[in-house]
Amino acid sequence: MVEDAATVAPPPPPAGRFRLPALKPWARWLLCGFVGIVLGFAWALHTVRAGAIAASDTIGPWTTGKDFGTADASGRTRAVVALRGMLALPASEARYYNAAVDDAGQPLDGHCRYRISGGPLPGHWWSLTLYDTQGYLVKNDPGIYAISSAALRPDEQVRWNVVVAPTQQPGNWLPTGHGDRVQLTLRVYLPADGGTGNLARTQLPAITREACA
Amino acid sequence: MIRRWLPPAILGLVLLAIVYHVTMVQAPRILMLAAEHRIASHGGWNTLTAQPLATSDSRAIVRPSPDLAYSSCPFDLSKGPVLIDVAAVPAPYWSLSVFDARTDTVFVRNNLQAGNNPIRIALIGKGGGQAPPGYEPVPVKGSRGIALLRILVDDRSHFPDIDAARQSSACKALGS
Repeated sequence: MVEDAATVAPPPPPAGRFRLPALKPWARWLLCGFVGIVLGFAWALHTVRAGAIAASDTIGPWTTGKDFGTADASGRTRAVVALRGMLALPASEARYYNAAVDDAGQPLDGHCRYRISGGPLPGHWWSLTLYDTQGYLVKNDPGIYAISSAALRPDEQVRWNVVVAPTQQPGNWLPTGHGDRVQLTLRVYLPADGGTGNLARTQLPAITREACA
Repeated sequence: MIRRWLPPAILGLVLLAIVYHVTMVQAPRILMLAAEHRIASHGGWNTLTAQPLATSDSRAIVRPSPDLAYSSCPFDLSKGPVLIDVAAVPAPYWSLSVFDARTDTVFVRNNLQAGNNPIRIALIGKGGGQAPPGYEPVPVKGSRGIALLRILVDDRSHFPDIDAARQSSACKALGS
């Protein structure tokens, strides 16, 4: 007597060997299609959420980029800018430099005191702003959110210092409020080179951690 | 067994790539549309709305600059051109920029380029139409976007004067 092949159970796989589940053909197509759609969406979402605005070039602790706001921007750049810095100006009008770490590469911590020191920046004017990780201004009692070149005394224009700290500091102080992680954005408006090149490491401010609470 | 899963797996990979690409392309449009509606909910479409200086409570846009006074106009060009008149402001820097639905900058001019003179433009999109005399035509892809006036407030004590001066600027549909 010959056994019907369909009624013979397949031999069990060796212990520890992965075995794909036995599904009907339509279920395999449906499952793979569904997983592909979900993973594609999740991957895009993760890419955009993990992306930082103006991050194509890294100069010390600063990151920058200059293709946003233009038709040349890649899909990824366009999506990240829409989420992180919508309505950003093109490079000819303003250059944006962001820092989420200090000169030692450590994340900027709102409980620590940092000294930001720099010199003249080649542009019409500049401003240094503190944000939380969501891109909103950091809540603080005195309501100080940024320091701009226009606010510096003439003797400070050549060499200036800004202290980022949770407690009041003499001079130019950017309060971190009660935030944990913070980020800095340096905007240079009407850059002298028309926005075609990046500032050099020596031109960009240094970010030095001095102490932590 | 593997052979039975291979074609569906390839379909899954193709769908993954397509969905990733479509999401990337559509994300800016969707976020821009949300921003347009958020701004329009305060002042309406084709209206220039002056916003207060940004604080930690501001949520209209991410990474607002607290040194700048923003006035924004979410525009709809489906029924014809929208005119923007920017009056000169007593500030060291001001600029008008126009963004289309894909977040591309289609126009930007600052006070230095304008010689501190008023800027008058006519946005022309899907709805067609012509710029009236005295207005510079600015073509816009699609029908919607945001025009943004930025004014540098170098000292917050100057803000009341700047705020009064910017009220002379306007955004309106042609014929309204």
